[in-house]
Amino acid sequence: MTEATEFKAESPAREAWRMFRRNIPAVAGVIMLTGIVLATLWGTFFYGGNPYEIVWAPHEPPGVTPEFPLGTDYLGRDIFAGLVAGGGPTLAVGAAAAAITMVIGVSLGALAGFYGGWVDNLLMRITEFFQVLPTLLFAMVLVTLFSPTLFTIAMAIGVVSWPQTARLTRAEVMKIKELEYVTAARAIGARNRRIIWTVILPNAAPPLIVSATLTIGVAILFEAGLSFLGLGDPNTMSWGLMIGSNRAYILDAWWPVTFPGLAIFLTVFSVSLIGDGLNDAFNPKLRER
Amino acid sequence: MSALLQIEDLRVTFNTRYGPVTALDSVSLSVNAGETLGVVGESGCGKSITALSVMGLIPSPPGKIAGGAIRLAGEDLTQASEARMRALRGAEMAMIFQEPMTSLNPVFTVGDQIAEAIMLHQKVSADQAFRDAVALLDRVGIPSPDRRARDYPHQLSGGMRQRVMIAMAVSCRPRVLIADEPTTALDVTVQAQIFDLLNEIQRDFGAAIILITHDMGAISEMADRVAVMYAGRVIEQGRADDVLDLPQHPYTRGLISCIPALGKGEDTLREIPGVVPPLHMLGAGCAFADRCAHRAPRCDSEKPLLQAHGHHPVACHAVAEGRI
Amino acid sequence: MTTLLDVRDLTVQFALPRQGFFGPRPMLEAVRQVSFSLEQGRALGIVGESGSGKTTTAMATIRLVEAAGGQVMFQGEDLLQLDDEAMRQRRRDVQLIFQDPYSSLNPRARVADIVREPMDLMEIGTPEERRARVTELFRLVGLRPDQLNLFPHQFSGGQRQRISIARALTTNPKLLVCDEPVSALDVAIQAQILNLLARLKAELGLSYLFISHDLGVVRHVCDDVAVMYLGKIVEMAPRDALFDAPQHPYTQALLSAAPSLARRKSRGYVRPVKISGDPPSPINPPKGCAFADRCPKAQDVCRKVQPVLEPIGPSRVACHFPG
Repeated sequence: MTEATEFKAESPAREAWRMFRRNIPAVAGVIMLTGIVLATLWGTFFYGGNPYEIVWAPHEPPGVTPEFPLGTDYLGRDIFAGLVAGGGPTLAVGAAAAAITMVIGVSLGALAGFYGGWVDNLLMRITEFFQVLPTLLFAMVLVTLFSPTLFTIAMAIGVVSWPQTARLTRAEVMKIKELEYVTAARAIGARNRRIIWTVILPNAAPPLIVSATLTIGVAILFEAGLSFLGLGDPNTMSWGLMIGSNRAYILDAWWPVTFPGLAIFLTVFSVSLIGDGLNDAFNPKLRER
Repeated sequence: MSALLQIEDLRVTFNTRYGPVTALDSVSLSVNAGETLGVVGESGCGKSITALSVMGLIPSPPGKIAGGAIRLAGEDLTQASEARMRALRGAEMAMIFQEPMTSLNPVFTVGDQIAEAIMLHQKVSADQAFRDAVALLDRVGIPSPDRRARDYPHQLSGGMRQRVMIAMAVSCRPRVLIADEPTTALDVTVQAQIFDLLNEIQRDFGAAIILITHDMGAISEMADRVAVMYAGRVIEQGRADDVLDLPQHPYTRGLISCIPALGKGEDTLREIPGVVPPLHMLGAGCAFADRCAHRAPRCDSEKPLLQAHGHHPVACHAVAEGRI
Repeated sequence: MTTLLDVRDLTVQFALPRQGFFGPRPMLEAVRQVSFSLEQGRALGIVGESGSGKTTTAMATIRLVEAAGGQVMFQGEDLLQLDDEAMRQRRRDVQLIFQDPYSSLNPRARVADIVREPMDLMEIGTPEERRARVTELFRLVGLRPDQLNLFPHQFSGGQRQRISIARALTTNPKLLVCDEPVSALDVAIQAQILNLLARLKAELGLSYLFISHDLGVVRHVCDDVAVMYLGKIVEMAPRDALFDAPQHPYTQALLSAAPSLARRKSRGYVRPVKISGDPPSPINPPKGCAFADRCPKAQDVCRKVQPVLEPIGPSRVACHFPG
């Protein structure tokens, strides 16, 4: 009866973190993303250029004038200033959209999976309805109906992307609710709400966390897509807006679209690395290795 | 005369995250034609690994046979090529697993699966093989076998599936049949049927059976000889009557006295305190020392070897020194 | 002696998938009019094979599975009639230990929290009192207080079962339902848990509804035994009567099938009562006695008329040809 003593009380979350730390690509993703976030949060303090101001001749190539290391766009605006200023809104839309996706998807999925029967039938038909809509078109409709602010864009992305999360949550909840520790919670008199929130969902968290991480990446791409089509918020600088407004001149000047594109790529890539790393860290089959 | 199957000083190691651990250490066992050897022990004692080693089915890596020999009619299986092992498996030796559902392929009928096993080792037509399969199903006591042969595994009950597994295992009349906890997933009345069937098959075919189990009652009903395993070693071995009636090792004694009996018993069961130590934490001494009432300093420093004492061999310092 | 639990005609049905689009939903009767009672401080064993309905009976008794009919009188109050909140409050008196010590503990909670949770839910005591109670329970079931902050996966199977027992005892229940509490454990550990359960019963005056397929275990723990077959009780008797003089052919078959050290291959042991086949399907139970198809004594009447429980000496047996 002594074999438990040689372990410290390592919680499952801590164990996952230990596994995550050993995953070099995932740690690289964290470092990269941290760098991007810090640069967009504080970059404006160090690099005070106004991204909207016309400061130089249009289509100045990068590396020619030291003041504007990444060159200027079709109006003569500083691209580097645009990248720094546009990062914040881009990331914010991504995170907010992912949060909205998770809130809708997890709530509906958990209710459907836990209660089953007609609740499940109803919620799943609604989910299917949203799932068969062409997502980009539907988001475009939503953004045009309401004014294209960052908030409505995040909402639109959230509203079109929750069904997958709902399905994933439902499947996890249905699997976990059959386990004995859930019956055990009922046997000691726990109410349904408590069972869902404190017993089932924490145990369903690992795949949901992975999915949330990946949703951030998808949402950033989505925002870029909307802005590229000219449906972004014209009053807020974002990487998508930069690509969208410069896309007409792409044959004359490659740099105004390439640098924001690269920024989006690096962000989504680092988020994906983190998501994959979390997936491996939570996957018990890989733990023994 | 040497035995049909003889395991000599077998040592199997596994690479784990704790480094290499010895899963089997100096295991020596033998079984003759027509005889049933019971291998008994708690989970993690190495009884299943012993069975897989004989079949050449140790997952490698992480496992490997690090020493010793396994001789089937004189041929050392540890030195045999993979092709030779494939020819032997199913033909000369066969294995029955604990969970018949996962050992059968769900997308083929049971008749086809048995016929497939026959055609792997015998040159017969597909029709003949299927007829043989039906005959085998009849032999293992499945009612209306020609109809059942066309069923898929999920259409059969657990007991019937285990009968199918036995039919498949004996399809080429193997000389050695290894049954690894064959009835753990089954109900007692069905378990009794399977045990009776194994005994009948042994009488018919004269196969040597190695029955791996955690159940001393099953050993008593089925085995001619018994090997008791603990933490990767055989700690006591002998004729079933000797080991069950006159157990010498403190662990064997504990194992027998902690079974709640069907007849009138005492109110309190004898307990073996503690748990089996994990294999990566075995020290220099006897693996059972921590749980043993007869522990002496020597037990912590020196591994006891299996040596003849009284009726049968036992690996215990206390017994050897006459302290028990 | 006072009657703690009196179950009358308990019936449990499960709906099966619809046959065709408009067809009726067939019902599977997992438990069919089962009646039994349990005295304070005693243990009633329910024995049977898989599909016999023994676990469903126990779960329906404490309303973790919905009953289709019958009464469950617990201290004179019908549990099946209570509303959800009243039943929730009642749960402090009826607790449960599961078969699988690996899946019955929430892997994301520390064991001290698992054992304390029933008190949180029932709002019993102050935080300090709850903490003290958890420590006390840990000692009672043979765990050390320095293990309180560990997670379930850091314990062995036997230790987890002790945690499960501690959790069940937290609210000082009167009835403990034990669903195959030792069948997932190695024999040496099994003995530790059985002794613990026996000690707790004596010290705390607990009553057990003890579900098991292992007759040896039941003989060791229980005062009375009920044998179930295909959703019905076929024999019910005080322990010694059942084991020494089983009346129902199925009970006899179970006893002769259970492996025992007393039966030796070397002494030419041959099973006296052999039965063949598997239990019939509960979806379409036979009209007469459910055991008739496998029974060595079966006559025409057995296939036509369903036998009812009738007293024979100290036992009650549902068989046309008992003994």
